[in-house]
Amino acid sequence: MKIVCTVNGQRRELDVRPMRRLLDVLREDLGLTGTKEGCGEGECGACAVHVDGRLMNACQMPVFQAHGRGIVTIEGLGDRDHPDPLQAAFVETGGVQCGFCTPGLLMASRALLNASPQPTETEIREGLAGNLCRCTGYGRVIEAVQLAAGVPVVDAPAPVDGSGLPVPAPDDAVHVLIPDRLDQALADRAAGPCTILAGGTDLMAAFNAGLPVPDRVLDVSCLQELRGIEVTAAGVRIGSATSYSDLIDSPDVTRIWPAMAEAARLVGAPAVQNMGTVGGNLANASPGADLVPALAALAGVVVLVSRQGERRVPVTEFYRGYRDCDCRPDELIAAVDLPTPAPDLRQAFFKAGTRRAQSIARVNLAACARIDGQGSLRDVRLVAGSVAPTIALLPRTTAWLEGRAISAPNLADEAAALAADEITPIDDVRASAAYRRTVLGNLVARFLRG
Amino acid sequence: MKVVGKPLPRRDAWDKVTGRTRFIADIPRPGAWFGGAVRSPVARGRLRGLVRDGGFDWSQVVVITAGDLSGPNTVAMIREDLPLLPVDEVAFVGQAVALVAAPDPATLAGALAALRPDIEELPAVLSIEHALRGDRVIWGEDNLIADYTIAPDDMDAFTAAMARGRIIEGVYHTGYQEHIYLEPQGVTATPRPDGGVEILGSLQCPFYVLNALTRALGLERDRLVVRQAPTGGAFGGKEDYPSVIALQAAVLAMASGREVAMIYGRHEDIIASTKRHPSRTIQRTAVAPGGRLLAADIDVVLDAGAFTTLSPVVLSRAILHAAGSYDIPLVRIRGRAVATNTPPNGAFRGFGVPQSIFAAERHMDRIARELGEDPLALRRRSILKPGDALPHGQVLPEGGTAASLVLERAIELSGYENRREEIAAANASATGPERRGIGVSLVHHGAGFTGDGEDKIDAVVHVRGEADGTATVLCSCVEMGQGAETVLPAIAAEALGLPLEAVHYHQPDTGAVPDSGPTVASRTTMVVGKVLVQACGDLAEQALTHGTDAHGTDARAAWSARAAAGEPLVGEGRYEPDSSIRWDQQHHHGDAYQGYAWMATVVETAVDTDTWEIRPERVTVVAEIGKAINPVLCVGQIEGGMLQSLAWAYLEEVRLDGGRYLNDRLATYIIPTCLDAPAYTVKLAEEPSPRGAYGSKGLGELPMNGGAPALAAAVEHALGTAPDFIPMTPDRLLAHLQELQP
Repeated sequence: MKIVCTVNGQRRELDVRPMRRLLDVLREDLGLTGTKEGCGEGECGACAVHVDGRLMNACQMPVFQAHGRGIVTIEGLGDRDHPDPLQAAFVETGGVQCGFCTPGLLMASRALLNASPQPTETEIREGLAGNLCRCTGYGRVIEAVQLAAGVPVVDAPAPVDGSGLPVPAPDDAVHVLIPDRLDQALADRAAGPCTILAGGTDLMAAFNAGLPVPDRVLDVSCLQELRGIEVTAAGVRIGSATSYSDLIDSPDVTRIWPAMAEAARLVGAPAVQNMGTVGGNLANASPGADLVPALAALAGVVVLVSRQGERRVPVTEFYRGYRDCDCRPDELIAAVDLPTPAPDLRQAFFKAGTRRAQSIARVNLAACARIDGQGSLRDVRLVAGSVAPTIALLPRTTAWLEGRAISAPNLADEAAALAADEITPIDDVRASAAYRRTVLGNLVARFLRG
Repeated sequence: MKVVGKPLPRRDAWDKVTGRTRFIADIPRPGAWFGGAVRSPVARGRLRGLVRDGGFDWSQVVVITAGDLSGPNTVAMIREDLPLLPVDEVAFVGQAVALVAAPDPATLAGALAALRPDIEELPAVLSIEHALRGDRVIWGEDNLIADYTIAPDDMDAFTAAMARGRIIEGVYHTGYQEHIYLEPQGVTATPRPDGGVEILGSLQCPFYVLNALTRALGLERDRLVVRQAPTGGAFGGKEDYPSVIALQAAVLAMASGREVAMIYGRHEDIIASTKRHPSRTIQRTAVAPGGRLLAADIDVVLDAGAFTTLSPVVLSRAILHAAGSYDIPLVRIRGRAVATNTPPNGAFRGFGVPQSIFAAERHMDRIARELGEDPLALRRRSILKPGDALPHGQVLPEGGTAASLVLERAIELSGYENRREEIAAANASATGPERRGIGVSLVHHGAGFTGDGEDKIDAVVHVRGEADGTATVLCSCVEMGQGAETVLPAIAAEALGLPLEAVHYHQPDTGAVPDSGPTVASRTTMVVGKVLVQACGDLAEQALTHGTDAHGTDARAAWSARAAAGEPLVGEGRYEPDSSIRWDQQHHHGDAYQGYAWMATVVETAVDTDTWEIRPERVTVVAEIGKAINPVLCVGQIEGGMLQSLAWAYLEEVRLDGGRYLNDRLATYIIPTCLDAPAYTVKLAEEPSPRGAYGSKGLGELPMNGGAPALAAAVEHALGTAPDFIPMTPDRLLAHLQELQP
């Protein structure tokens, strides 16, 4: 496949196998070995680069998605004669030891300071949370970012003059379909089995771990119709190609659907949030998904489209079993619709993860409820993740709570016991069934205690 | 001093922040082949052969099994029990049973998929308890890879004290830890025209690899070269394992006649490389009615995995620190390293001490609990003082007040005593799920090789005078992130009266540098640095002797002239044994270490009692490390080591199923992110050591000892109880608390 992009300001025309990782093309074809591979699954951030100014993991991006975009790697950040202030600061504070994670940390730091020139310490920690460092303990790194904050930089990524779509080559082993209109995408989808690729955060890691790359890949990342957050009085339509970062950055989402914003904020870390999409999280159908319980609790409806038209499925009914969702072979997830919640709806999202970022849930819980004029619970919705093959709706606990007085004695404890009792989780590498039961109960109680 | 003690920037920093440093995977290697291994899927079994899929074109690859090896089939370390490739029995999951080289990664993957080891599975030994039971022997006569005892001089007095005092007993367990150096293992092997081979790799100990190659390939040293590539973190993980992977690559290179690269991805790295030894320590302390510590009987057991690797020396260091930093008059310590059918465990920062000292520190907390005494008060009255003897008979020097110094300064700096009361009060009235706690630990670490180990290593360092008046340090101690490339030149610059920029550091290469020993045991700055000072003195002296009158007393001008004439002067330093050091290896008795560094750690943590997540928030460290050659690098070592220590205690977990690691990816082996890291306050204290370069002591491992016990103490303060095991994952913490409930 022939693609055009800029790399460190320089126009590049590349003839590449489309599903190769951007990481490999940078390192092997362009000799830009400053971008490192530390894990190949989006956990460590050693391969972080800027794509159109946003932090992304080059190991999770198929190179064809770089078409028409501006890539900046560590080699383009600055050199000793013309350093980025961050590079000088890392040298000065001792923010570099073995140096292997350093390029990724610097790219993350630059992306952070571009978005937030005077970050708080918490913002710095969040901004760098997707970049593992094993040497420094992060102390000197944080100090370096603080030192460089506020120092202006000239940072104007050159625009790309590559327009149009990549040109497929006849010998492409994988047939990558890159429609730029939804009707074309639906025609491609109907034409035969294909794997749908959006942000790539799950699929590219799986391919790298040995999952065979399918013959036919349908890329939906160029479909503008699937991207965006459209708020009306009745609710919001979130396009399926909308990223977690788009959700986090939306003041409307944060204000009206805070449980969803919180779930998005607790997914991965900045690079993954910039890449991963709402539709991808729905379609991947992982029992540990963070966003899906929030969408379900907020009464979200999945909007599926095909050449036959539109079909609407509530998120609560979208999953049939482990990694199995109700998306037909000719359908695409176009959007998810959420109604505007009642102004007094209490909503929360809790995650007990393996760590504070870049974490898969051991247990998560999205919870909503209203308290009516009599002090009774109404419209209770509890949706848990990582405790069942799909999201768990906790019908017995919900029914028991509905209409009950919030001030009833032992309400939280009894609800916790009910919730713990109505799930049948498994032991796995992340947590035991016993832990999941107890902690889910505790999280239900935490919600009720407000 | 002009250079030593100054916070000068790292010499390698600019290449690293601009992405110019070329690690092993970054170095172009046109035409090189790719090497890989067929691995055992079972923990123990009889190897009957290797089944080759007839559909694969075997002419395009090279396959090596044990039968193809010409030299001794061994990876030489302390013993020679680990075969390069097994002959008839496999002993752990992931053991390489055959090696393959192919022209490209896809062909290699195809070949590996087309090879199946034919193994008759045998019952395995998978735990310390099972290994000790002895009903199934998988190693030697009794599964004991090493068994050492440190005994008190007066056994009768010990027995009497143990009988007289109240016995307080605790059993402590620590888990695996994977290094997660960010750069996975990697080497390339290139055949030489003379039949030898050259290794380039990410490694800590070039001469260890050279020794292993010499032994297994049956070649003279002059046909073997081991060069170190820039190394992206190691922490001990690149001490022993590179000998394995370098030998594998060398054998493939010699069989194929090609350069062969073996550069791991993360998954293979975690499966194949060594981990920190899990441990079980039983502490039994006899306490007098007034609370005085009379005697202690300590039993340390390490899970060595299936082969010896470095376990005997890890065990040795573990038991030499097992009584902690306290004055207990009569101590007996037994240590055993047992064999199990699990991947061999190896070196990891701290080298056994974090395990044994975790038990010692937690046991002090238990004694305090049982006596109804404050843990700090117990530490204060039991702390080692100048003139006290350690269990192995080493007497702390007069004037050495470091233990008290670091403890008192850390207590003051952290406001420990006030905070402890404030937090207790806040916990008592808390209505939400969060509890807080604050805990303290006091640890030490002996630097350099144990006992007469440095005599045996016999380190040599060279300094060469260059034509432009600069000098070059030639030694085998590598830069792996800790700062050797900056600190060693700083020591030489000080000794030669040069600015730091005028001293170069030669990338370690066994063909070009002398054997200064391995880059391990916190020895580089202290021990090798001291030898380097001698080498600098020798260079200056030679320059003045060999210079002409025109140079007068200008040594630099003299060595420049000699180098310009093509006869550069090379100063040599050689380790000088100290005749005052007494050491009995058989009984582990005497002056075990030439210098101890000391550290007190105060950790303040939050615990969420809904999710049982632990969140260390503030850490205060005061460390006495002799002279700090470069204070910025020292603080970086302490913060980084501290986070490793904390994470080992609550976050990092390796679970096994049938001898197979379950946490074998970065998605499941969890190390801390920036958001998980606490805020640090680090202060250095300096009591210069006569045995170290410019008064320095070893530092690299010390911080790994202190974080885990301080965090456990903080969790105990928060919850009123804390487990005697780590990691304290939420799951295990919850199970522990549920067990305590009636």
